[in-house]
Amino acid sequence: MNRILLASLGVLLFMGCVPQQTLYSWNNYETTSYNYLKNSDEKSTQELIETYKKIIKKQTGIRKVVPPGVYADYGFLLLQSDMKVEGMAMLQKEIELYPESRIFIERILKILEE
Amino acid sequence: MKNIFVIAVLALLFASACAPISTIKKSDAYSGMYAEKPVSILLMPPINRSTNVDAKEYFHSTLSIPLANAGYYVIPTFLSMEILKKESAYDSELFLDAPLAKFGEVFGADLAVFTIIHKWDKSGIAAKVNVEVEYILKSTKTNEILYTRRGEVIYDASISSGGQGLLGAIVDFTASAINTAATKYVDVARACNAYTFKDLPTGIYKLGYGNDGNEIAGLNLYRIQLNKSYR
Repeated sequence: MNRILLASLGVLLFMGCVPQQTLYSWNNYETTSYNYLKNSDEKSTQELIETYKKIIKKQTGIRKVVPPGVYADYGFLLLQSDMKVEGMAMLQKEIELYPESRIFIERILKILEE
Repeated sequence: MKNIFVIAVLALLFASACAPISTIKKSDAYSGMYAEKPVSILLMPPINRSTNVDAKEYFHSTLSIPLANAGYYVIPTFLSMEILKKESAYDSELFLDAPLAKFGEVFGADLAVFTIIHKWDKSGIAAKVNVEVEYILKSTKTNEILYTRRGEVIYDASISSGGQGLLGAIVDFTASAINTAATKYVDVARACNAYTFKDLPTGIYKLGYGNDGNEIAGLNLYRIQLNKSYR
């Protein structure tokens, strides 16, 4: 009886501290976004674009969908790289996946269409 | 009698292992969050009052992940940053005590997240970084502060992730191969954000949304030692 009690409490103790699976997976987003924020040069931009591609391609998080802002920021970098059609398509995808982004993203699309 | 003692000791161990000591429920500590039910969050560029010039970017690049993983919609970081710059609103200091309705209108933001880095000191002897940071989440509708915490974090950069076995070692190796020295300091900010937002009420995209009010909130003011393995 005592043993069962100890074992179950031990499991509980263990569970409390093990990191749980997160909603989304982010690849090396923190590092590449830091480099982009800091340098905003060709190399850091390309690396961040690669990160976005990987995040979009494979999601191992609980939700199995692309995290908030990723399509839109990826699209923004494409627009910066003169890929207007592709960039705008990504902005549209952000709205489809996250309707609460509509106010902001449609404003950007409107500016781009002018 | 013995049984009770064992349970008590283990329960204490369990509590002290993970949670800060506080007795306030989230629904009381952050009542505004439960009343307003914010969905979308705008990251304001961090306010850097420390002597480290890079601290702002360390924090800016690590804020969106814990907030998104908590179930919120984080408004696209770089796209919103571009607009803030264009609108001469890049200095968050100007908006700390100003009406925020405009951010709701333009960005569709329910919350604005202010981060104030009060201190970022590197210790000369050990690989330690001492950070003091304050987080303020304000409603764009009411201008009320819905969530705020201020922490002093002592980050030990010398301890390897450890305890994760071979896979951990491989991950570590590739990470250090790709990254620059800045990675270490990005990780300091990551750990600060991760620790602080652990008690953020669950957002709409996460299981448990609206049902976590009875959980205990973290301390409003805290002091904690963290290292690389903190998640």
